[in-house]
Amino acid sequence: MFGKKSNTTKNRKSKKAPSALARKKSGLNDYSLLFIVLVLLAFGLVLLYSTSSYIGAVEQNDSAYYLKRQLVFTVLGLGLMALISIIPYRWWRYLSIPGFLGAVGLIILVIPYGREVNGAKRWLDLAPGVSIQPSEMAKVAIIVLTAFIIELIGRRRLQTVWGFLLPMVPSGIIAVMLWKITNNMSSALIILAISFGMLFVACPDYKRFIALAAMGVAGCIGLVTYIVRTADQNNMGFRGGRVLVWLDPQAYADDTGYQTLQALYAIGSGGIFGKGLGQSMQKIVVPEAQNDMIFSIICEELGLFGAISIMVLFVLLIWRFILVAGNAVDLYGALIVTGVITHISVQSVLNIAVVTNTIPNTGVTLPFISYGGSSLFFLLAEIGMVMGVSRKSIKAEEEYAQQMKGS
Amino acid sequence: MSREDRERMGRAGGSGNRKVRRGPRRFTISMQKRLVVVFLMVLTAFILLAFRLILIQRDNGRTYTMQVLSQQEYNNKSLPYKRGRITDAKGTVLADSQLVYNVIIDASQIMEKDEYLEPSLNAAERLGINKEELRAYITKHPGSQYYIAFKNLPYQDKRAFDKEVEEGIEAEQEAQRKAVEEAEKAGKEASEAEKVELVYSNIKGIWFEDNYIRNYPCSTLAADVIGFTVGNNIGSFGLEEYYDDTLNGVPGRTYGYLDESLNIEQTTIQPTDGNNLVLTLDANIQSICEKYLKEFNEELKDHKHKGNGSNNAACIIMDIDTGGILAMASEPGFDLNNPYDIAAVAGMPKLNEKDAPTTSYMTEGDAQALSDADRSRYLNALWSNYCVSAHYEPGSTAKPFTTAMGLETGTLKKSDKFQCNGTLLVDGTYINCAHLEGDGLLDISGAIERSCNVALMQEAMKIGPETFCKYQNVFNFGLKTNIDLAGEARTDDYLYQAEDMADIDLASNSFGQNFEATMIQMASGYCSLINGGYYYQPHIVDRITSPGGSTVQINSPRILKKTISEETSDLIREYCIQAVEGEHATGKLARPAGYRIGGKTGTAETLPRGNGQYVVSFLGFAPADDPQICIYVVLDRINNKKQDEAGRACILARKILTEVLPYMNIYMTEPLTDEERLELEELGLYDTNKPSSEEEETGDAQ
Repeated sequence: MFGKKSNTTKNRKSKKAPSALARKKSGLNDYSLLFIVLVLLAFGLVLLYSTSSYIGAVEQNDSAYYLKRQLVFTVLGLGLMALISIIPYRWWRYLSIPGFLGAVGLIILVIPYGREVNGAKRWLDLAPGVSIQPSEMAKVAIIVLTAFIIELIGRRRLQTVWGFLLPMVPSGIIAVMLWKITNNMSSALIILAISFGMLFVACPDYKRFIALAAMGVAGCIGLVTYIVRTADQNNMGFRGGRVLVWLDPQAYADDTGYQTLQALYAIGSGGIFGKGLGQSMQKIVVPEAQNDMIFSIICEELGLFGAISIMVLFVLLIWRFILVAGNAVDLYGALIVTGVITHISVQSVLNIAVVTNTIPNTGVTLPFISYGGSSLFFLLAEIGMVMGVSRKSIKAEEEYAQQMKGS
Repeated sequence: MSREDRERMGRAGGSGNRKVRRGPRRFTISMQKRLVVVFLMVLTAFILLAFRLILIQRDNGRTYTMQVLSQQEYNNKSLPYKRGRITDAKGTVLADSQLVYNVIIDASQIMEKDEYLEPSLNAAERLGINKEELRAYITKHPGSQYYIAFKNLPYQDKRAFDKEVEEGIEAEQEAQRKAVEEAEKAGKEASEAEKVELVYSNIKGIWFEDNYIRNYPCSTLAADVIGFTVGNNIGSFGLEEYYDDTLNGVPGRTYGYLDESLNIEQTTIQPTDGNNLVLTLDANIQSICEKYLKEFNEELKDHKHKGNGSNNAACIIMDIDTGGILAMASEPGFDLNNPYDIAAVAGMPKLNEKDAPTTSYMTEGDAQALSDADRSRYLNALWSNYCVSAHYEPGSTAKPFTTAMGLETGTLKKSDKFQCNGTLLVDGTYINCAHLEGDGLLDISGAIERSCNVALMQEAMKIGPETFCKYQNVFNFGLKTNIDLAGEARTDDYLYQAEDMADIDLASNSFGQNFEATMIQMASGYCSLINGGYYYQPHIVDRITSPGGSTVQINSPRILKKTISEETSDLIREYCIQAVEGEHATGKLARPAGYRIGGKTGTAETLPRGNGQYVVSFLGFAPADDPQICIYVVLDRINNKKQDEAGRACILARKILTEVLPYMNIYMTEPLTDEERLELEELGLYDTNKPSSEEEETGDAQ
């Protein structure tokens, strides 16, 4: 048994993670991961300042208003990240159920105490000027809890119907609550996607996922067709309207298609190298330029080059996560990392897809770059957990290496 | 070991898994593979999105860039300027721009509160906006902030609306204040006071944007001369086109920009209004001319054939000593406030493919049935100013010019006599005189009085082609007069050069056939024949004033050249008086009651010869002893079986002069016959109770 274990470890060492070994002497932290995160954060702060200075000056009388707030959350978030990374991650298992209940409680608290912004009640005020989005916290809670449940159920039993459905239950509950209470379908979808992604990685077969994916695609096509067919009956909610806008933004240029169209104008006017940092004209026009639509301003200011650079950074980050997951010493750690991977990749892909009008408009922020304290804070907490997993695997490698020496 | 671990181990054991693990479950190879699958999916998604970005750039980059720039323009609002006014010599406004308002609806403001909707919609309805249409728009575009719901609201309406709303709001505030007072008296809290129903205070999201529209208070008066504007500020035809830059101002602009500390600065550059034109033209003289031209047109309308009284009937009255245009009228005219009205085209001759008139005529049905391209051809023909844009063979009105050049160069002498036998053989062609029986032996004066072609041909032969052509140039034939009106025709192609001028050309040129001129060339040249030889540049704008009214530029009379000597001019004047007053004079009918005038008639055959179509005219000056004005009446192809009746032009000139001369305070010098007195009384120009001193004298004399 030991032999087998060492074999697999060796195998992984030589093939998949040479870099992890190379850093053996330099401490327990995953510096490549940290470096990518810091670059993304720095990039994000510079771009946030560029896009938000106008609206900050107009609305808050301080062009650096958004930058300052984001900076505070960045510093706090980095502190939290450092703290979390040194706490043994297996402890989170004990916190997973209280965390989940806490998230549910916070979402319920939105009903009486929530603050409305742009027509959606999604924020909870903690103190004057400090508010959180329970949905962001829920994402972390779901990652921790789903990983715990999958680990409990075990691989074999995941293949049974109940074993398959059980890990989806908490995320299902949260998703329905987010959708119904905060009217936030995008967060609900992301939370479902997180647990679904974790399930996909943990499950031994592909068939059911392929079947589910096919059903999902068919369902989407059916829904879009239905909405288009019944378009003139005017009885669908704003989501149906968004599908129509997605199909033909020009037709709704003055109202519901305005944001999408202006974002497209920004992207189209950027060219290959963009107009230069701070030179965007559209940041005055695009609604939520510093928020959901920041990517369009990046395209305008830094061009295709800058936009694709950001995408490459995300791909590198996710590749780093994959290595950490692969090196994880246990299933729980690997699943947490998988959850973080799904969260960040789904959210960044959705955001860019929305901005480029590849999918219908839905409010998703671009991780690490969009303005938003809660989002950044909890994202950095997730990074902290990944770094904790990485730290443990580095430690294990070192111990193993010493054992080998010793024997 | 934690409780869960133990539980899990127990369960794992229970499920028959024999491999009891010490550590937590491992992340297996297959899971790692699946993670790589996840990564590949994410990578694919990013690659597809990158392609999407590239496609947006490639397919829409240009249009989107333009869109972004045009939105910048939109943010920077342009403020309209007021185009300059055009007034006549006496201050009558002929064209001005009036301040009107566009009603802008800000739907987002109206939709802010439910109670705003109805009062705002009702208010909009009072401004002439369809309430239900506006409601539909607002519900469909609740975020719209700029929607032009109504254009060109008159200033008075806007002011009445503002006043009503202002007073309404005051009344409501007052009522609310009283309600609060009463509540306080009754010992209640102010918040418990009865709520006054707010109507005016709830009117939101309606505001006004300045705009100017061009307005022509005299609508048809001097339409050809004034021209009109397209899109309010682009001059088209006449003065509006010629003085477009002068009349136009510079638009203002408001724009926001970020200063160094990123504050938004709002800056407004006020528009500069355009300059005004003050004309030499007198609206009263102009309307007298137009009245009689119209009367003539009505009289002969549908006479021989369906259509106008003539293809064109036009009249120029010029100040003989300045070149200033006092009136310039032509029929058919059009309404400057509605220049595109195609019905005005009815009655005009149909145009061939070269835009030349034919002998069939437009009916109203034809006019309505015109294709778009034809429509613009006919409208252009209607809008163009016959007095400066048309050229034709002037006919016998050219005879004074021929005589003048002979006298001036000394090739003719006062005492020269010519024999007319009714026809003259030139280059093997017999050219007839108007009087085929022959005028007998004529001196130079008699040749003009009787309008004898044969005598004039012999004069021209004496003058010779070199001198003739040189003097045509001196009299500005073939050259533009550069009058300040758009669309003056070039006539250099319609003149002979001395080297290729055959005798027959010289002969026909002598009496005004076979070369072409414009009305303004004829009138300007004739002024110089009468006023002592001073060729003034004809002009219609007297001065340009600033929007505030101060003079910016004065078009003082400009003598371009000295055409003939005072002595020659004196002779020509005498001959022309003779051509109206003489026993055999052709222009007898042109003399207005109470005045002596001079002038020359013209009857010109049009091409092709022998088609029976004529341009008849009268070119004269008044009064005879102290010439002040030059009058030129041209009737192009009269709607009559017999077209060669210069008398019609004379009668028209007489009618016009009968009213214009008294209007210009030129005193009558001649006794009136009873008939003439009656005629003047009918026109209201002769007051039996209060006769002027001159008329009293003449009365005594009788």
